[in-house]
Amino acid sequence: MLELLEALLFSTLDAAPALVFAALGGVLSERAGVVNVGLEGQMRVGAFCAAVAALSMPTPLAVGVGMLAGAGLATVHGYLSIRWRSDQVVSGMAINLVALAGGTFLLEALYSPNGTPPIQQLPRWDLPGLGAVPVLRALSNHPGLTYLALALPFLFHALLHHTPVGLRLRAVGEKPHAVATLGLSVAGLRWGAVVGGGMLAGLGGAVLSTAVLDRFEQHTPAGLGFMALAAVVFGRWTPLGAFAAAAFFSFGNALRIGLASSAPGLLDVIPQGFLLALPYLLTLILLTVQGQRSSAPAALGTPYEQESR
Amino acid sequence: MGERWRSAIPSVLSVLLALGVCWGAIALTRDAEVAAEAYLQMLYGGLGQWPRYLETGDVGTLTRPLGEAAIKAALLLLTGLSVAVAFKAGLFNIGAQGQMLLGALVAALVGAHMSLPSALHVPLALLAAAAAGAVWALIAAALKLLRGVHEVITTIMLNWVAVSLVDNWLAVGPLRAAVSGGHSISGTAEIHPSAHLPRLLGDLSRLNLGFLLALLVALLVWVGLFRTRRGFETRAAGLGAEAARTAGIPVKQRTAEAMGLAGALAGLAGALLVLGTEFRYPGSLGAPYGFDGIAIALIGNSHPLGVTLSALFFGILRAGGTRMQLLGVHKSFPELIQGLALLFVAGRLVWLTLLRKRRAVPASTEVPRA
Repeated sequence: MLELLEALLFSTLDAAPALVFAALGGVLSERAGVVNVGLEGQMRVGAFCAAVAALSMPTPLAVGVGMLAGAGLATVHGYLSIRWRSDQVVSGMAINLVALAGGTFLLEALYSPNGTPPIQQLPRWDLPGLGAVPVLRALSNHPGLTYLALALPFLFHALLHHTPVGLRLRAVGEKPHAVATLGLSVAGLRWGAVVGGGMLAGLGGAVLSTAVLDRFEQHTPAGLGFMALAAVVFGRWTPLGAFAAAAFFSFGNALRIGLASSAPGLLDVIPQGFLLALPYLLTLILLTVQGQRSSAPAALGTPYEQESR
Repeated sequence: MGERWRSAIPSVLSVLLALGVCWGAIALTRDAEVAAEAYLQMLYGGLGQWPRYLETGDVGTLTRPLGEAAIKAALLLLTGLSVAVAFKAGLFNIGAQGQMLLGALVAALVGAHMSLPSALHVPLALLAAAAAGAVWALIAAALKLLRGVHEVITTIMLNWVAVSLVDNWLAVGPLRAAVSGGHSISGTAEIHPSAHLPRLLGDLSRLNLGFLLALLVALLVWVGLFRTRRGFETRAAGLGAEAARTAGIPVKQRTAEAMGLAGALAGLAGALLVLGTEFRYPGSLGAPYGFDGIAIALIGNSHPLGVTLSALFFGILRAGGTRMQLLGVHKSFPELIQGLALLFVAGRLVWLTLLRKRRAVPASTEVPRA
């Protein structure tokens, strides 16, 4: 029993960071009032570019390249939705389509249809003193990014709720006109949030190709970006809420895989597809119960026009 | 040239720009000759191999590619209309994929598990598929109208619920076809021949009644949206819910109807796939037709005519895309063109500003100088 728990904890900690980073990216962008349904695409370019970069440089550096790539794609989103006030959902979906088709094309043109050549995985850290403790042992032997994913939501919470910058970011998602009245740049704040969000989504993607796998595969990130979006809504647009939701989704996934390998008989009773659908179903049910208006940023999805009121 | 045609300019320019950028992408990764040859092959694959035909006189070299293009176009047209109808009512239907999936599943079940004469079987399967898609879409409509949950979130969630439940459970589990003749097949049981959509050209191509059906549906959607009172009210609700409500339009009702219709159209697309070409619900639906619908709808400016043209165009590219593989260019290449075109369309305001500037220049020269 303890062994099963330990295995579950270990695989959750391995899989969760990608989702946590992307969800935090979503929170950042959406708290500033810009819908980001392009998380999937930003994760994809992050994963792809990190894997490609890792072929010719140390993997930790390549992760940085993945972050820059995510930020680059987010810049397109920002340019269309902030500078040109395009529909943010349209722009986000367009980014997803381009990243999906472009990634497939480049992968085939440069390497093989299935994936890039294998790369050096991110080094795993051995936490001293945990090796002998049951269950807690699962906390050791993860890449550094896993520990960052555990700490970042709290940093984010502090930043968003206890600093002037955080206050401005939240305000620009609620009442951009009030922020403009204070002489602050609405566009500037939103640009920062969108590009920062893209960087985090790119990091989430990079985790997939450099830590979870050791290459970029055709189907990476396979819907994780949309799941991150669900985590943002499920977590009511807060860093800690999104973190909890992402962790919950990852645990559910680990549970499904764990069950499939350790107790195959159970999957005859609970179908695998039902377990897969569970996080989305739960999100839907929660949304039904609580309604959405209560927690979404008030100006979410509305382009800012100085003249409008 | 009226205002209505001018509104199509950004879409046309976007598609052209996307074609140009993608040509450049092949030219850079391979060389310019390969790029030119690939585009030629794409046209042959979508519009027929005319040189081969003139040489050999084999009609099949024309009808087969055209038929494939028509099949692809019919699916894109229906999912595109689905997104466009919702858009006209002020809704963003990202859930066409899930709605189509359920439509396909129900069409496969009706096709396989009922025995009826063809004249009844096909319409029944189509109706059942449309109803299934509508129900799936109405969940999102209900959540929006009753609980204020944005349909973008609910339809994305409903997509994943549909994919998980159908592709990862029903189609490979309880509804999987019984193993026959020693080799197992993926997906549900094959539908009865009485549920097949009739082929229009016999063995010359896979072109079937579904193409005409899709065109007819597009015409009906146009009439419904632009020539009926109900359609006017729906569009009014989409343009401004507050104003429409003040004018006495039952906004909630029109919104729900539009979402139901959107789901029905996507469900119909699923039925066309199953009854026209697959003849069973395959192990998984495969291509993301529902997401393509978003691109088709927006490139077509959410107008039934524009959506039809855009679906026909990308149907041709899609059918031709498979031929590009002969040159080692990935068959998903047309999707890249489509994605980029959508990205450029998303910058509609950029195009309009550029166009206005160009028109403003000659106008300013007419200003009399002092």
